Amino acid sequence: MDELEQAKQTFVSEAQDLLRDMESGLMQIEAEPDDAENINAVFRAAHTIKGSAGLFGLAHIVSFTHVVETVLERIRSGKLPPSGDLIALLLECRDHIESLIELLTRGIETPDADTEQRAEALRTQLLGFLDGEGGAETAKAHAPASVLEHDVAESQVPDGQYLVRSRYWHISLRFGEGVLRNGMEPLSFIRYLKKLGEIVHISTLYDAMPPAASMDPESCYLGFEIVFDSAATKPDIERVFEFVEDDCQIRIIPPHSEVTRFRELIEALPEADLKVGEILLKSGALTEQELEAALHNQVVAENQADVPQLPVKRLGEILVEQGVVHAETVRSALDKQDKVQANKLKESKSIRIDADRLDDLINLMGELVIGSAAATLMARKHDLIDVLEAVSSISRLIEDIHDRSLRLRMVQIADTFNRFRRVVRDISREIGKDIDLIIDGGETELDKSVVEKIGDPLTHLVRNAIDHGIENAETRALLGKPANGQIRLNAYHESGSIIIEVSDDGGGIDADKVLAKALANGLVAPTQTLTEKEIFQLIFEPGLSTAEKVSNLSGRGVGMDVVKRNVIALRGTVEVTSELGAGTTVTIRLPLTLSIIDGFLVMVGDSSYVLPLDSVVECVEFTEESRHGHEGNYVAWHEHVLSFVDLRELFKEKGPKAARQTIVVVQGGGQKIGLVVDQFLGEFQTVIKPLNKLFEKLHCVSGSTILGSGEVALILDVLAMTRLVETRVEAE
Amino acid sequence: MAKTILVVDDSASIRQVVSIALKGAGYEVITANDGQDALKKLDGHKIHLIVTDVNMPVMDGIAFVREAKKLPDYKFTPFIMLTTESQPEKKAEGKEAGAKAWIVKPFQPPQLLDAVSRLISP
Repeated sequence: MDELEQAKQTFVSEAQDLLRDMESGLMQIEAEPDDAENINAVFRAAHTIKGSAGLFGLAHIVSFTHVVETVLERIRSGKLPPSGDLIALLLECRDHIESLIELLTRGIETPDADTEQRAEALRTQLLGFLDGEGGAETAKAHAPASVLEHDVAESQVPDGQYLVRSRYWHISLRFGEGVLRNGMEPLSFIRYLKKLGEIVHISTLYDAMPPAASMDPESCYLGFEIVFDSAATKPDIERVFEFVEDDCQIRIIPPHSEVTRFRELIEALPEADLKVGEILLKSGALTEQELEAALHNQVVAENQADVPQLPVKRLGEILVEQGVVHAETVRSALDKQDKVQANKLKESKSIRIDADRLDDLINLMGELVIGSAAATLMARKHDLIDVLEAVSSISRLIEDIHDRSLRLRMVQIADTFNRFRRVVRDISREIGKDIDLIIDGGETELDKSVVEKIGDPLTHLVRNAIDHGIENAETRALLGKPANGQIRLNAYHESGSIIIEVSDDGGGIDADKVLAKALANGLVAPTQTLTEKEIFQLIFEPGLSTAEKVSNLSGRGVGMDVVKRNVIALRGTVEVTSELGAGTTVTIRLPLTLSIIDGFLVMVGDSSYVLPLDSVVECVEFTEESRHGHEGNYVAWHEHVLSFVDLRELFKEKGPKAARQTIVVVQGGGQKIGLVVDQFLGEFQTVIKPLNKLFEKLHCVSGSTILGSGEVALILDVLAMTRLVETRVEAE
Repeated sequence: MAKTILVVDDSASIRQVVSIALKGAGYEVITANDGQDALKKLDGHKIHLIVTDVNMPVMDGIAFVREAKKLPDYKFTPFIMLTTESQPEKKAEGKEAGAKAWIVKPFQPPQLLDAVSRLISP
């Protein structure tokens, strides 16, 4: 959000505060109509809202509040009695302003017709309370354009007058003595004048300067005669000097004015006539002839006392507030409004946060979790019961905050899934298949960055299912399947991962065909024997496509390998199961990419290991007797045979073996296995530190964490463990 | 060194926008909520120009200008008053007190910068 947006938010909350004050203030007026400070406060509220709204170019708020302010001003100055009706109306107006502000919070800066209508109705009622003068004033503020017709008489030339030839403006300045004391610098006005045009000639007059002894250094004694080349209008030039109008004598003579104007000038200036004439001549404002005429006229004028003296136009007569500024305000307000509008719509609904900042926060959260774990450990070690209690309530809070901070990154997958409705509809129509898309688990949340990257692989899979998976209508009819094919997208959480499934009820994958193709492509050696699962896995190899014909959509052998690459890049896995004639399911398993997991801490020998808590099913005592038979790593478990892995063996732990070992039953990839450990220490908030590249080939370990005591514990990859068991079983 | 402008207004949003505009033009900006707050801030800062609202709680702009003009350091400091068309008499009062430049509310940043540029440069 940029600074101006922030300022606008400030404006909104400020306006809301002021409106609250206004409400209570208005009701207070009813109770105590003589409380001047209260009335003033109500007035100020409206005044401030108007001023601020103007600054943001919110013309509709300005124009409406202006009328309210005008009425309040009348009440304040005692010109309008605050009757019950008027207060009721003002309260209504207040509500209307509130609704305008409310619209603003929703990013609407241009009120709709209804709102405008209401504003107009209220405005009309308000104007009814104003006397004629007030009404006119308000009207003027609304139609400032007419004021722009300014100084028409200036350009009209009285008949029979000499016109000077010079195409330049002539500006005569005599700064007042007090100008410096008022903080004005004469030079800055001349500098500012240059913005409007070019100063052709400037003469400085210092005749007013007293002898050094009597000179006041705080006073200004200077005058300037300026020949100015500009296309600006007279009001524009006058505006340059508006701040010094009271302290300064300014005469502005437009180009091609009648000579008499100069005559008046010469006459009015304090310096000697001839000297002024000389300056005008030298600066090129007048030719010799013109000067002659001017001076001559002057003599004539002196002789004929009845010649009307044209008053010198005083700058002060043209005040800004009468319209010029107002017109500009309205114009630039409109410009600005258009620009701001576009941004505003997006901003108010949500806050955009740089992903890095969020990661920083989550990282710190991780450190905090470690810190709190350390505190718990210490308290437990020293048996400080009361400290332990305090620490545990703190860690509960930390857990809550941690949950919430993680949720900041989580988004539902529904949006991604829903995109496929269109994809399925378009493609199936294109190739003439009737396909229904079923979406399950759209509410499943996953990391935003994962959602962004999973779109492409999913598109490949869905297209594949439409193109190769679902049979055409005739085949389906022949096989007795429903006429409409079905594609299902499903998502759910399992063991700290998110599972996304793309399944279809199509023809399934012919394992023999895949194998034959793989053999032909040299992907597998003829001597290799592969399980069905391994054969299906081959479709993710580059250059293998079983589609008989290359179609527009798929079958070029790119696609599935790209899917796999993308998924692996997300630290995920992809698997396919298929039944010939019944359909195919592609399962993508992705880590939640969260840096903290709920862990289950176990000890093997002297080392600690962390299991993802949601993969833990049960803990049972392990005894040699419970071994199923006496051969191999099997135990009886709830009428099942459970294969287990002894972590001591797996990790070659040498530490002391516990007298009573425990089997932790874990689940991964739809399979349950047991892990034999020496003891378990319970739940543990685990901050995942990814393993160094050096360890990336390490099996069965997905990361590491630092315990509160400073020790390092490895996080076990349950899925890899189940695979390990699987291969072992198959080997047997 | 950039010249410093003191902005006095009871509206936070006006202070904010005016500050953004003036800083953008290369000035240093100090803000105050009302006349009294502003008087406090005159001390210890070298301020080259003061932009003040008229209608403020605690101490209004006119009283503030009057007080500030009494301080030797601020005798020559130019004041820009933020006046309003609904109170023409306030402008006269402000001028009386010593503020010679003014901007009519509602205004927009370009008008303010325009007025400032006539009095000082960054």
